[in-house]
Amino acid sequence: MNLASLAFKSSWNRKSSVLLTLFTIAISVMLLLSIERVRQEAKSSFANTISGTDLIVGARTGDIQLLLSSVFRIGHANNAVQWQSYEYIKQQRGVAWTIPISLGDSHKGYAVLGTDSSYFTHFRYGKKQMLAFEHGRAFHNGREVVLGSDVAKKLNYHLGEQIVISHGMGNTSFHHHDDNPMTIVGILKPTGTPVDRTVHVPLIAIDEMHGSGHNASPHMIGKAINKPSNEAVHSHDEHKHEDHDHHSHDDHSHGEHQHKTHQPVESEPGDLIGEPKQITAFLMGFDSPLYTLQVRRNINQYKGEPLLAIMPGVTLRELWGMLDIVEKILLLFSIVVVIISLLGMLTTLLATLNQRRRELAILRSVGARPWHIFSLLTSEAVIITLLGCLLGTTLFFVAILLAQSVLQAQFGISLSLSMLSSYEVTLLGAIMLAGTVMGIFPALRAYYYSLSDGMSIKV
Amino acid sequence: MKLFSLCFALCFSALSFAQAPKEIFWEDLIPQGHVQISNQDAASHDGADQNWVQPDLDAPVVTALDGQSVSLPGFVVPLEGDSEVITEFLLVPYFGACIHVPPPPPNQIVHVKIKNGVPIESLYDAITVTGIIKVETWSGELAQTGYTMQAVGVAPFEL
Repeated sequence: MNLASLAFKSSWNRKSSVLLTLFTIAISVMLLLSIERVRQEAKSSFANTISGTDLIVGARTGDIQLLLSSVFRIGHANNAVQWQSYEYIKQQRGVAWTIPISLGDSHKGYAVLGTDSSYFTHFRYGKKQMLAFEHGRAFHNGREVVLGSDVAKKLNYHLGEQIVISHGMGNTSFHHHDDNPMTIVGILKPTGTPVDRTVHVPLIAIDEMHGSGHNASPHMIGKAINKPSNEAVHSHDEHKHEDHDHHSHDDHSHGEHQHKTHQPVESEPGDLIGEPKQITAFLMGFDSPLYTLQVRRNINQYKGEPLLAIMPGVTLRELWGMLDIVEKILLLFSIVVVIISLLGMLTTLLATLNQRRRELAILRSVGARPWHIFSLLTSEAVIITLLGCLLGTTLFFVAILLAQSVLQAQFGISLSLSMLSSYEVTLLGAIMLAGTVMGIFPALRAYYYSLSDGMSIKV
Repeated sequence: MKLFSLCFALCFSALSFAQAPKEIFWEDLIPQGHVQISNQDAASHDGADQNWVQPDLDAPVVTALDGQSVSLPGFVVPLEGDSEVITEFLLVPYFGACIHVPPPPPNQIVHVKIKNGVPIESLYDAITVTGIIKVETWSGELAQTGYTMQAVGVAPFEL
């Protein structure tokens, strides 16, 4: 009988304590692997969200906040960019394209993004990949909407359906723009970025929701799909909506657009922009990257209003820099947990050693040499650590599988259920090494016991 | 350490078929006799009085450098990359060119692309980039000329 199977059988004899130790190690391994995987995937999914954009411009705020709110839909922009400023900056020398972005509304918890057709031609993610359509096409008029892949999947929407956009962020809104149903004309392919969880509408639609929809002509009321109420009730509602709007959304200038309300939207096909007063932010690309620094400087010193231009690459680096310490602390904690679990194993092995002196003496009596005893104890530690690592890795995959959808939905981090990376294998190797080293202590102890005890135990 | 080894590997592979890259500095990118408007002097920190004047956008370039293998020290302004490496960046002559000082004129910016990317730990440290420099003209409303470089190696800058 070789030593390994002997060690295994000996351990099995003490299965409750050994199994507990094994679980401790497994859980600590799972913790370490999960934290590392989430950390890396979070970083790479952030880095993959935007590409090929030279500048992001918004109202003056922090660099990182502008990046987070405009691209990752984390947090809110507290102010807006005047449309004139956008028009002016757009015309500057070297500007190849711009994508206006208007955020702040939602559809069943998914962000609604107002933009124009340039979004579908110029927006890039990952390694300069373009957005592609799974079904349908880009919107061509103010009544059409393009969904991200997650939105379509989770809400089970199909082309041609009509949806209603609500005002403000969050799952529920007491203020639905019922009189503005929009037709789904396109569904994007999955990107693994916040685009998947975004409802894309033309800028003009955002404008109408906020400004003009409330005194819409009767035929539009008839179109409402969520609330088929009679007109009397509806007009009462309108009143409340107006009030509400005045209190909380001063920036949405309804007065400006009142005059358009009686025109049916169908009469302006192709107009995606309308007459917005402000937008949340815009993305810019230049003919040559050499313009970037100059235009950035000029936007930051723009006299018309306080604006901020950021280079996504630089700001992402800043974000990594800020998060660096948090990452290190997380890694440190999970390493400490692994060490504690290994120390737990050491304690168990040492504690049971005294009870096993008889067992060791019997082994000696059947011809085991002291170094046999030594390797027996070491291989026990190795077996426990190995099984712990295997179980931990299994638990880790289970945890990833379970957490995948939650992380994707809540934080936009797409976890891949890929095999262990070389880095993760290195971590496991380090744990195995540490476990083996831990095993040497009780092994040495047993070695000396077996030398002094011989075949009979002297206590 | 990774950086060093990468640099060495790449340098040697480059050396095997070309002669040693010429060491150049930022002055070499300005044609002789051209009086460069100094942005540093023009810097006013009390809010620019000259709004939207792009300094020296038509600064001339040294066409003789086109296609040469050179190594140039500078600071990195990242453009593209992922969480690990940078694949595209602007090389500029002074740190903070993207933050609080006026940007350098186009002939003092080199647009560097590097295949497979390089890990760059800190944007505060100067690096030396080795590669083939090219004079490129970008089309647009107005043609813009400037330098690009297909880099083969990046190393920490040492005096």
